[in-house]
Amino acid sequence: MASERTFPKAIGSLEEVFNHLDAFYAAEAIETGPAMSLSLVVEELFTNLVKYNTASRNPILVRLGRENGRVRIELVDHDVDRFDPATLPEVDVNAPMSERTPGGLGLHLVRAIVDHISFEYEDRVMRIVVVKNVERADV
Amino acid sequence: MFDIKRADDGTVKLIGRFDAAQVEARRAEFEALSGSCVLDLAELDYVSSAGLGLLFATLKRLTESGATLKLINLKPHIRELFQIAGFDRIFAIE
Repeated sequence: MASERTFPKAIGSLEEVFNHLDAFYAAEAIETGPAMSLSLVVEELFTNLVKYNTASRNPILVRLGRENGRVRIELVDHDVDRFDPATLPEVDVNAPMSERTPGGLGLHLVRAIVDHISFEYEDRVMRIVVVKNVERADV
Repeated sequence: MFDIKRADDGTVKLIGRFDAAQVEARRAEFEALSGSCVLDLAELDYVSSAGLGLLFATLKRLTESGATLKLINLKPHIRELFQIAGFDRIFAIE
């Protein structure tokens, strides 16, 4: 099953985003563990678009699909300036408390969870694609 | 849904889904915590980087004031997130 929907570009949209995801998990019989991980990935990516792609307030498209044992999630943000999340500073997870800052943690978690992530930017459209195997028992 | 409840013994319970929207809505309650605190995460189902960031800011503030913050009863997937974030080496976790 493929499913897609747009959401206003605002942190306040998260509850509706989660509802959309929960309906997808139920339809695809995705277990709680992988579902939690996927929700975390979508929240981190969605909130990054809200925080950093401020050139437009166009809604964000969230597209969900499953092929065999893998879930593919795509977030599309229209009419925005180029923003490459790869340019965000890497988190030093070994740093002591005095040197830790909150920035970049979300993308660090996403990279640890998904099996594939790609960022594309063309004609002022940003597209983020993540793929996760949901039939393996991990985060 | 996310909720914060204080138990009779002073322990603060975090319940439900602690996402970025809830961080914005409940930040003041974390900023009001003072003295040494124990956070019980037994009923915390979900936390994102926004929630982790607020917990970290709370830990840092309390530590700088000479107090402590301890986390107890983390579910396995929440504990794993703390490990991925490197927070298992920063927070006191039981």
